[in-house]
Amino acid sequence: MKTIFISKLKPFLDAVAEQMALYIPKKAGQYYVYSKYESSTEVEFNSIRACTPVKEFLLPVRELAATFPESFEPKDVKPFAVFGLKDCDLRSIEVLDKVFAEEEFKDPFYIKRRENMFIIASDCLEAGESCFCNIVDGRPFPQQGFDLNVSKVKEGFVVEAGSQKGEDFIEKHAELFSEVTDAMLAERDENRAAVQKQLEQKNAELKFGIPLKEIVESSEDSEVYDVEMKNCIECQACTRICPTCHCFYLFDAKQKDYFAKMKMWDSCMRMAYAAVAGGANPRKVLGDRYKHRLMHKFVYFLDRYGIDMCVGCGRCVDGDAGGIDLREVLRKLGEEFKEKDEKKAKVKK
Amino acid sequence: MNQNPYQPINGEIVEIIDESPTIKTFVVVPEGDFKFATGQFVELTLPGVGEAPFTPSSSPAETKKMDITIMKAGRVTGLLHECRGGQKVGIRGPFGNGYPIDDFVGKEVYVVGGGVGLAPIRSLFLTLVDRVKDFKAVVCRFGARTPEDFIYKDTLFGPWQKIKGVDMKLTVDKANGGWKGPIGVVTTILEAGDVNAKNAIAVVCGPPIMMKFTTLKLLELGFKDKNIYLSMEKNMSCGIGKCGHCMIGKYYVCQDGPVFTYEQIKNYPNIWD
Repeated sequence: MKTIFISKLKPFLDAVAEQMALYIPKKAGQYYVYSKYESSTEVEFNSIRACTPVKEFLLPVRELAATFPESFEPKDVKPFAVFGLKDCDLRSIEVLDKVFAEEEFKDPFYIKRRENMFIIASDCLEAGESCFCNIVDGRPFPQQGFDLNVSKVKEGFVVEAGSQKGEDFIEKHAELFSEVTDAMLAERDENRAAVQKQLEQKNAELKFGIPLKEIVESSEDSEVYDVEMKNCIECQACTRICPTCHCFYLFDAKQKDYFAKMKMWDSCMRMAYAAVAGGANPRKVLGDRYKHRLMHKFVYFLDRYGIDMCVGCGRCVDGDAGGIDLREVLRKLGEEFKEKDEKKAKVKK
Repeated sequence: MNQNPYQPINGEIVEIIDESPTIKTFVVVPEGDFKFATGQFVELTLPGVGEAPFTPSSSPAETKKMDITIMKAGRVTGLLHECRGGQKVGIRGPFGNGYPIDDFVGKEVYVVGGGVGLAPIRSLFLTLVDRVKDFKAVVCRFGARTPEDFIYKDTLFGPWQKIKGVDMKLTVDKANGGWKGPIGVVTTILEAGDVNAKNAIAVVCGPPIMMKFTTLKLLELGFKDKNIYLSMEKNMSCGIGKCGHCMIGKYYVCQDGPVFTYEQIKNYPNIWD
């Protein structure tokens, strides 16, 4: 795939915005939040992922899913582009693709948006405060799943195509770009290695040398979940802000001259989430709901789809009103696992 | 297949049969033929009100209409109970896996049902008796709170008892005038001599507490984990393995179930709650 150089971002983004709606991250307080790009927008290269999850572009919080008595098919979606997505974001799209685009039953609303999304990813410039992607096989730079990827170097930006759509864009706008030099590519690799090292240093405590799946799977009887949930105020922010959480519920509503079936985000942390009309509820206890959430992230999804459902973006850590830190929970579970393992080893002796 | 899996097909309730004080059977005519395998479920929409999962209780051989037996349990079922014939409804499905009838061939089939759990079992029963000679025996043990609470009374108390190749026993928790059968929860009429537990297939459907104790009793009788088929009631919302509400461990009840063997789910937490 083509790799080229551009000295400034603005003409590049203007070219994108000429073709389709473009969304870029803008600093809001200490976080980045997506907003629509206008030619007057000041361009910023986001150093880490945005605060808002990329799923917002693919699965709206609330959408019309069916109508009655006349049936309804999804409307066409105009092409749109998102700039500044990081490796964790791309991996979260991979998770959503598995569920909504690759199963026997496909979600036509998701697919319409997904097919029309132009992904301009970028390298991370630092390890964010809550980032732990390296623990779940993520990288601070995109590996796959992008149309174009942008890496910042001293003189400007290295732009790499990752799909035919990306190649076509570069070709079409050849006048914007110039040749990339070996020195620039070497600089890109150095930058990447430096951020990777940062991540490894700050998350050293989370490297157990044992797959997280094994640790979480064996934590069925652990008290950690109940203990950790003592500060949970059940705000559900962890699930709303998580880029891979995709629970939703269907509900029916009366409109003026038709009936509608709506689809809306839901959260497995909600008390009545799994309850049935008869009154049964397998996860009445908050700790059980949190355990199920982690089992889904680290065990069940992997069993079903072959990839991790946690991308290590750390959004749940940033967003948690009760101060629950997934890294801390994993660290405690890891320690418990090691203790149990040592005990077992002693018994064997 | 319908392109939009959230879009129901249209249907109409043509008849409503009172089964018990809290249970009615709705005869639904879908637009066009509707095929399902016994044990699969459908999502029934009361337009503008809500949607809920039900396993049809009629024989899958009937594709022009289907019976859906519904207990008044929550908001949607409560409002369904207030409907009259002619009510328009939406139907999505069928979803999930039904009973693997072909795997039961040549074996004794031990069918244990309680309360409204007889609804899916009726569909299974009709399927089994259609080819009753294929099975070594069909042994049914059904329970209800009182004689009045039994559903399908017209057939259950009469014709079904007389089908050749079917051994049927009924029990009630509490008897009232005229009941001559056993008294006690359904587990009290499961006996060692009913079938040869080592090779028999058990099918269980009923309220969670009944499913739990029936399973324990079946294990005690010598049934193998893999031979106990449970029809799990969970909060199936989307029906297509995405929304997450019905998960038992890694399984989506709506896609991988609703019929599971005990072996598949026994190690997951809170399966009976």
